[in-house]
This record gives sequence, C-alpha cells and structure tokens, in this order.
Amino acid sequence: MTASRRQGIALVVLRTLIGWHFLYEGYYKLVLPAWSTAGAPLPAWSAGGYLRAATGPLAPAFQLLASSSLAGWIDVGVPIALVLIGLSLMLGLFTTRGCQGAVLLLALFYLAAIPLDGVARPGAEGTYLIVNKTLVELGAACVLLASRTGAIAGLDLLRARPAPATPLQPNVSG
Amino acid sequence: MHLTPEEQATGRRNFLRAVAGVPVLAGLGAASLARGPIAGGPVRIGYIGVGGEGRVLLGSTDKAYAHVVAMADINPAQLAVADGVLEKGGHAKATHYSEWREMIEKESLEGVVIATPLWTHADIVVGCLESGLHVLCEKMMAWDVEGCERMRATARRTGKVLEIGYQRNYSTVYQAAHEGLVKAGVLGDVFLARLAWHRNGNWRRTGDPPAANYDPSKWGYPSWEHLLNWRLYKKYSRGLLAELASHQVNISNWFFGAEPEAVIGTGGIYRFKDGREVDDHVYATFEYPGGRTAVFSTIESNAFDRNYEVFYGTKATLLLQGESEAYLFEEGTATPSAARPTGIDVQPKTAGPALSASESRAADAAGRPATGGAAGTSAERLAAYRAEVSGFCSAVRTGSPLLCGPDRAIGSAVACITAVDAVAGKTRLPIRIGPAVQS
Repeated sequence: MTASRRQGIALVVLRTLIGWHFLYEGYYKLVLPAWSTAGAPLPAWSAGGYLRAATGPLAPAFQLLASSSLAGWIDVGVPIALVLIGLSLMLGLFTTRGCQGAVLLLALFYLAAIPLDGVARPGAEGTYLIVNKTLVELGAACVLLASRTGAIAGLDLLRARPAPATPLQPNVSG
Repeated sequence: MHLTPEEQATGRRNFLRAVAGVPVLAGLGAASLARGPIAGGPVRIGYIGVGGEGRVLLGSTDKAYAHVVAMADINPAQLAVADGVLEKGGHAKATHYSEWREMIEKESLEGVVIATPLWTHADIVVGCLESGLHVLCEKMMAWDVEGCERMRATARRTGKVLEIGYQRNYSTVYQAAHEGLVKAGVLGDVFLARLAWHRNGNWRRTGDPPAANYDPSKWGYPSWEHLLNWRLYKKYSRGLLAELASHQVNISNWFFGAEPEAVIGTGGIYRFKDGREVDDHVYATFEYPGGRTAVFSTIESNAFDRNYEVFYGTKATLLLQGESEAYLFEEGTATPSAARPTGIDVQPKTAGPALSASESRAADAAGRPATGGAAGTSAERLAAYRAEVSGFCSAVRTGSPLLCGPDRAIGSAVACITAVDAVAGKTRLPIRIGPAVQS
C-alpha cells in the first residue's frame, strides 16, 4: 500500500469519526427531553446555558445571543446543523460543505469558551490552556477541508461521476 | 423503642460503618454497554383518590418525572385541596373528575396513581390495567386474596407496570440495611424480628361532607361517616393489619427473603367501643421457614414505642425506627439495662383524632417522643415517597426494575389478610400464597 493510499484511508477514517461525533451530538439534542437508561429524566436541550457561561473576549456577544429573540432558533438550528454535518462527513456527501460547516460550528464553540485560565474546571475531563479538544477537532476539520476527502471515498464520488451517455433511441417511425 | 443518646450515637455509627460503600441503587443503574437516551417526556399520569395519602403521593410527584394530567375523587372537597398541593409542587392545573372511569376514557394517560379505600383497589387496578395503563397502587394490595391474585394476573397478562406503594422499599436507609447488613451476613442468623406500631389515638376522623346534600351511597357508602372513617369498617378495611402491619411484614419478608407460612393472632376492640368494627389492639406472630418468627403488635392506647422493626441476629441487632433511623448493635455491646428509657421525656398526647394522610405517619399516633427528630424523620420518609413515585415513572418509561411489584407485595398482603382471620378467631392459621409468588 502506498503512502498516499494510507493517508487517504486515515483521512476518511478521521472524517467518519468526526462525523459520528457531530451526528450523535445533534441526535442527542433533538431527542431530548428523554430518559437515561438508569431511569432519570433528561430535560430538553437548550444552548442558553452554554451561551450564558461563555468566557473570553467574545463572551458578551454570546451572552447577548442567549437573551435575544434568536435563542429559540439557536436551540433548534444547532442540533439540526450538527446532524446534517454529521451525515455529510460520515457519508462523504457534499463533503466540502460539511467540512466548512464543521469548521464554522467548532470555531464558534471554541470562541465561546476559550480556556484562558489554565486550571481544571468542574466537570471537565482535562486541564487546558488555549488549546482544548474543541480546538484540536477544529484543526482536524480544517485538515479534512483542505484534503477534499470526498474525492477519496463517499457518495460524492457518485455525484462526480459523469452521467452515462443516453443510448440512441431506435427509429420507430418506420 | 427508646435508646439513650449514647446508644443512639453508637448504634448509628455502627450502622454507617457497616453499610459504608454499599452501592444502594446500583441495580437501578444497570444498563447495557452502549445505549442512547430513551425518548419521551414526563409520564402522563392521573390520580385516583386524592385524600390524605393520595395528596402525600401527589406532593411527592416530581414534575421532571410526571405530568399530572387529571385527578379523580368522589369527594370534590379533596380535589380542591389537591389543587393546592399541585400548585405548591409547581405543576400545572389538572382536570377534575368524580368518576375514575370517565377520567381514563377522556384523558390521554399513560399511568395512574391509586390511593382509594382498600376495598376498591382490585377493581380499579384491574380496570386501569385492562385499559392499557400502568399503575402505582397504594398499599395494601387488595381487600382479599382473590383481589390480589386478580391484580397480579392482570398485570402479567397486560404487561403493564404494577407497583404497590410500600415506600420503605425506596428508603435509602432500608436499602442500605438490606444490602450492607442482611445480605452481607453482618447480623448472623436471624431467628426473631419484632415489629411494633404503637399509637395513642382513636383513629377516628371528623369532618363535614363537601355539601349538605352530599350522598356517597352510589359509591357503596351508606353514609358520610362510613366514607370518612372507612378504615374502621370491615366492609372497606382490614384494619390495623392492612394499614400498619403490612408495611412491616413487607420488610420482614424482604429481609428474611421468604414469606410466612402461618400466623397466630389475638386482639380485639378493647378501648374504643364506639361502633367501629376493626380492632384497636392487634397482636400477630408470623412463622417463617427455618424457625424464624416475626412478632407484630399494634396498640391504640400508648405511643411510647412509636414504630420500629428489629432484627435480632446471632452476631448483631438491627433496629430500624420511625422509617428513618437505623442502629446496629453487635451482640454483647448493648446491655439490656442501657436500653431503658432513662432520661427521655415524652410529650403529652396531643388531643384529637388523626386528621390527615397516611396511617404510617407518626403524626397519626397523636403522641411522640421529644427525642424523635421528627423533622429529619419526616424528610427521610417524604424522600422515600418521592423516590417511589419517580421510580414508578422510570419503570414506565425505561423499564427500570420495580422495587415492590405484585410478586413481592402479595406476600405481605396475603399474610396480613390471613392474620385478620387469625386475630378474629384467636387462633393459628396457615398462610397460603400462590406458587408464583417467589420472585
């Protein structure tokens, strides 16, 4: 297997993993309110809490969004966008658009909560200064966007394939 | 049972040390390895019967778990009071009905909570199960064995949830005691349990009918007095054995891991000869397999002992008192003399009959030790009620296991129903529980 082929496979695997992450995040938010398997109710999802807890230089703008008339649209739009992006990346369909959407959303998520204090936060699974897992995933999505993986594997290959020539119709007019 | 402050501290410390680290609710959390959330919002429920006990359950209903859509009660005054309970709990207003059948026909319900007089349980439960509803029914299961069997069979046939409201099963204190002490063998071999529920009050309620022309006869009660004091009449009630003993026998069944095989009973109407039909003093000895015995007593003439369950093991003694306090004594560390009630003050009996709610509430005893810690006791008990209603909703929505389904509850019910006859005849009777009881 050539280096180029190995890289192609790795990029498609990376795209699939990020796609699954987006798809499940969106699905989970859409299915709420729901119940955990342990029997506890899970309330409906809202971006409000995340936006109100925004930190960093753009925090005021995000907090303003939380209290604006757009809040309801955000609660609906974000999960749908996550699902669509996830499907795009997993299926390799409209891959470039999907990667662009992923980069945009991840950038917004990162900018809303830039880790500048460098200490562990309650509930967080790690300790971060400037670079966190959202930024790493953003970087990975940028790599996918630059690599045009839809041309390696996925339904985009079908879209790009030229349509078969229309067979000549037999002359039936006699 | 009264302990000195030193005994309380020692017993509580022993108990906490013994049960430390017990994963009390681990069973509830068991789940498959990878599984997403289960779709659905709060369970849409209706209440049938919102008298005192119904309102305790209503007030314990978490709106994250349940949406109370409607309430049915034959007494409109109870519905009005229940509105206040709903509002206090942050619930939206529920639709009122006088007939439960009309409620389940008109409303889009998933489940019902039933807290009506005992004699109505079987018909209402079966009717609701047959209509495709899940049911949480207040204890005791039914007035007679046939009713219990009918409820259990219908639940099995319909595949609907049927939970019987013994809130002790949802108490973290009882769960920790069972998991950390009984199952772990800390008590050693237990041959004797003592179950006591002593009160000093006449159990008779007073109150006006909701309207001057209110007629409860169409629901089977010849007078307002019969409806208000249904617990005192044999047609509707099984007396103290149903209202009190069944709670405690349910615990001894759980902790012994068995149902009693026979019961010896005595008792009678010794103090309140006021026209009531059920006994005010009851003594019953339940015989379990393996030489184990549970001795139950309830009296309505002295509240000094309050209510407790004690399990006497060869290695240690476990005391569960007032539904919330737990003490553990290793054999030989608590001398009999130290257990005398020295220095404990007893409040004078508060006047009047029990006016509200559950017969399992200490307030109904009309007499309470000053050292009882009533506030904490009440909080623990209400937490158990809350866990019970929430657990029912979880079972409906996610299939989480029942803590007191019909197979467990029927053991206590049949034992107590048989005990009623044993007490009446002052004799020993075998207890015959259907072969499918063991769960």
